[in-house]
Amino acid sequence: MNRKHKSDLVILFTTLGLMALGLIVIYAIGPMRANVLNTTYGTDYGPNDFFLGQLRSVGLSLAAFFLAFKVIPYKYIKKFAKPLLIFALVLSGLLWILSLSHSSIVKCELGECRWFQFGGTSFQPAEVLKIALVVYLADFLARKREEGKIGDPKEFWLPLIIVCGLSLGLVVVAQGDLGTGVALMAIIFGMLLVSKVPKWQYLLMLLIVLVGAVGSVALSSHRMERVNAWFTTLTGGESSDSTYHIDNAMLAIGAGGFAGVGIGNSVQATGYLPESINDSVFAIMGETFGFVGLFLVIAVFCIMLLRMLKVADHTPDDNNRFFIVGVFSWTLAQVVVNIMAMTALVPVTGITLPLLSYGGTSMVFIAFAIGLVLQLSCYTSREGIKHENISSGGRQRGSHYSSRRRHS
Amino acid sequence: MKRLKVLKYITLGAFLIITVRLFFIQIIEHDKWVEKANEQHTILETITAKRGEIYMMDGEEPTAVVLNQAVYQVIIDPAVTPKDEIKNALEKHAKEYITANLDEVYNTEGLRYFIVAKNVPYTNASKIAEEGIKNVWLKEGNKRVYPEGEMGSTVLGFVNSDGLGQYGVEGSLNTLLTGKDGLLKSISDVNNVALSIGKDNIKIPAEDGKNVVLSIDRGLEKGVEEVLADAINSTAATNAAALVMNPNTGEVVAMTALPGYNPGDYGNVKDASIYINQVTEVPYEPASIFKNFIFSAALNEGKMTADTTYVNTPSTEVDGNTIWNAEQRAKLNNQTLTMRDALYWSLNVGSIQALKFLGGNPNEITAEGREKMYDYYYNKFRLGHATGIELIEQEGFIWEPHAEIYGLNAAYANMTFGQNLSATMIQTATAFSSVVNGGVWRTPSVVKGTLENGTIKPLENHEKVEDQILTAETSATMRSLLINNRSYKARAGIDKPGYDVGGKSGTAQVIVDGAYDESMSNLVGSYIGFVAPSGQMPSYVIMVKMWGEGKALSGGEAQNLFDTLSNYVIDYLKIKPEGV
Repeated sequence: MNRKHKSDLVILFTTLGLMALGLIVIYAIGPMRANVLNTTYGTDYGPNDFFLGQLRSVGLSLAAFFLAFKVIPYKYIKKFAKPLLIFALVLSGLLWILSLSHSSIVKCELGECRWFQFGGTSFQPAEVLKIALVVYLADFLARKREEGKIGDPKEFWLPLIIVCGLSLGLVVVAQGDLGTGVALMAIIFGMLLVSKVPKWQYLLMLLIVLVGAVGSVALSSHRMERVNAWFTTLTGGESSDSTYHIDNAMLAIGAGGFAGVGIGNSVQATGYLPESINDSVFAIMGETFGFVGLFLVIAVFCIMLLRMLKVADHTPDDNNRFFIVGVFSWTLAQVVVNIMAMTALVPVTGITLPLLSYGGTSMVFIAFAIGLVLQLSCYTSREGIKHENISSGGRQRGSHYSSRRRHS
Repeated sequence: MKRLKVLKYITLGAFLIITVRLFFIQIIEHDKWVEKANEQHTILETITAKRGEIYMMDGEEPTAVVLNQAVYQVIIDPAVTPKDEIKNALEKHAKEYITANLDEVYNTEGLRYFIVAKNVPYTNASKIAEEGIKNVWLKEGNKRVYPEGEMGSTVLGFVNSDGLGQYGVEGSLNTLLTGKDGLLKSISDVNNVALSIGKDNIKIPAEDGKNVVLSIDRGLEKGVEEVLADAINSTAATNAAALVMNPNTGEVVAMTALPGYNPGDYGNVKDASIYINQVTEVPYEPASIFKNFIFSAALNEGKMTADTTYVNTPSTEVDGNTIWNAEQRAKLNNQTLTMRDALYWSLNVGSIQALKFLGGNPNEITAEGREKMYDYYYNKFRLGHATGIELIEQEGFIWEPHAEIYGLNAAYANMTFGQNLSATMIQTATAFSSVVNGGVWRTPSVVKGTLENGTIKPLENHEKVEDQILTAETSATMRSLLINNRSYKARAGIDKPGYDVGGKSGTAQVIVDGAYDESMSNLVGSYIGFVAPSGQMPSYVIMVKMWGEGKALSGGEAQNLFDTLSNYVIDYLKIKPEGV
């Protein structure tokens, strides 16, 4: 491994900046959310409950982030790649089985059972599965590459299809969580892409999965309804109950205009826009901060993601590089699918916006994953990897990319 | 192609698409979305103006007879309101106001925000609020309260469930009483609760309705109704109406018709016609009390005096029709009588003779006579016209002098004794007031004005007419004739000494199936008169009417009612006799 040097400050500050922004947004709209829930459902939320909840999540996420960044070496984590995946699959399987028996420790919303509930705390095993799959695939792909078995039907594709199929099955079919399914597929295909799997095999597999995905949507009336709602909104059709969510997301973003209505002035957050603090927080930010604000948010995400790719590019170790690409794909999928859903570019899938949406589990796990990427950014090589160089310029800048010459 | 570069281009491509999309939505389509947002977020809420209260006079002071009571609707959301708790609270504190079956409400899928109790008084609503049940809302409203019950219902009317005044002054002065609703335009949350964050929030306050003071005297109104109720109980009449007005001002101090109804429970009546004001909305044939008007006309035109004579016959022929005196008295037949006698004995032949005098030919009815009579009846006495009183009115009918009908003279002959025409009680009493008050026709009024800061201010935009239609001499002669009509009442001690009481009765045949009922089994009895300290101008004009379907009520029975009422009015209003 390369000698340890300074971590990538861009990833560090973009992560912290996004968390802080999420906190500000939840602080502004949390009281409205509490009021709407209290009025509509008779709950008893205090005006600051959601802000305090987000503060707790950010606290936990920062702890996870710095734990991953500074305390737990990735080299130890990858040793447990297989047990970690098995643990994650067992958790998801257990959730499914317990949901069938209507267990009290399983929390269901709108007919979908995706959480374990312990007292006032809930926990989504699909988030464990995401990071476990990233760690496992990084290890698997690195091993297969080293063994020269990449693309081998029996040694490579068969175990890969079993693991990925099982993961997707438990998430998409058992939990009905298409959003996480999209993130998992992005992770799988993102990591496969950089693993040097033969192009034709990659494209064939992508085609098969896309056909399967289209089929699963077509066979599900609930998903078809979402697709129809999306198409109706995209083509300016008549509003209906099924287009309510996307209509109101577009309305929030559109009403924000160039500079937005300002913090605390969002009307859509007062109950018009469903999931205003979770999946739809981007739309509320659009109303509050306008085009300028959203452009900056997108730019921050873009910079962070490109920086991850750069770190991957300069990471000589296959396993580490695949892991970084896995985290990159996971983050990219969540950001792009969430924002595209809010702007009617894709159907609504129910996926959170990383580091910004209200919610504990997803933020903690993605913060942990990014923390590990930050840890790995300390072990990059200045030259980049000879088979990959994504930099547009020929000269590497920044003092924290160490030279192979200094490799001890 | 470098594979990490593929990911880089995918990332840049995705963010470029998103940026372009956001530019399109937020910059290019911004106005469209703002318009949609305003449409969705803006609530227009009416701020209901408080309806004005209604007062009657209690001596010199106004006293409220129609009030507003704050009442509450109890609203629940079956999705979240705890059923057992609200059920117990309603049973305990507002049982009689429950308007919904709670079991049905809770079993109806998708039902939100439902009214389960209405018109709950403040004290009961407060107790429900004190229970502290979540998701129970109390919405304040107003209920019209009529503490006097049926008293004055003829004049007051009622307010229906839509908040609209119906009948009486509630109906005729609805706009004044209603006021002007205000408007609240604001940005609201999804539950329609106004938010302070809107930049264009507008609040136009409501202008409450005016408090209206009637000229009706509450005590007198109550007393008159009691007298009428006694008259109904002691005669064949099923209905009676009465009107007391000051002929010198036009102010009505009592106006009633029985049976009445409770305006606070207006739906609980057998026949909706009970709402109609018999005094102002029902034209009828007032019969012989109209003789006052033909006599006044002939006297005023100088075509006769009270002592002018004619030969009274049992009947007279007009246009081939035989018109009889209502009561045949042998001693009067073929006698030379004065016009004073003719009015005293209420002789139809005598009133037709007055018309002949009016036309300038004592032997026949002439076109000139018809024209003059029409001019007096329709233009001067304004019979068959709405009077302009602040109540809903019907007009009535008077034949025109050149109407192309068979037997026009016979029609006019009938009109001299108040048949073959129609007029309301208020028209008749107003015209009669001008006969006895010195000859001035004044617009009658039931409203003194609006009560503002303890002061009564006259109604704006209410035109009041004062028209000298008769000479003072004519009026004085008519008063003497009317007092003469009741001379036997004074002698019998029925009319109090020290007072001049004059009057005239009328017994009208009723049209049944398009023709007068000759069986005389359907008769409407009327009487109109005045009371005055002896030798002075009349203080009050009183008119009564008694009737019943299939009942024969004579002017004599109406006169008995007048006798009682006139004495009651003198006592109640403390009219001082001559020399006091």
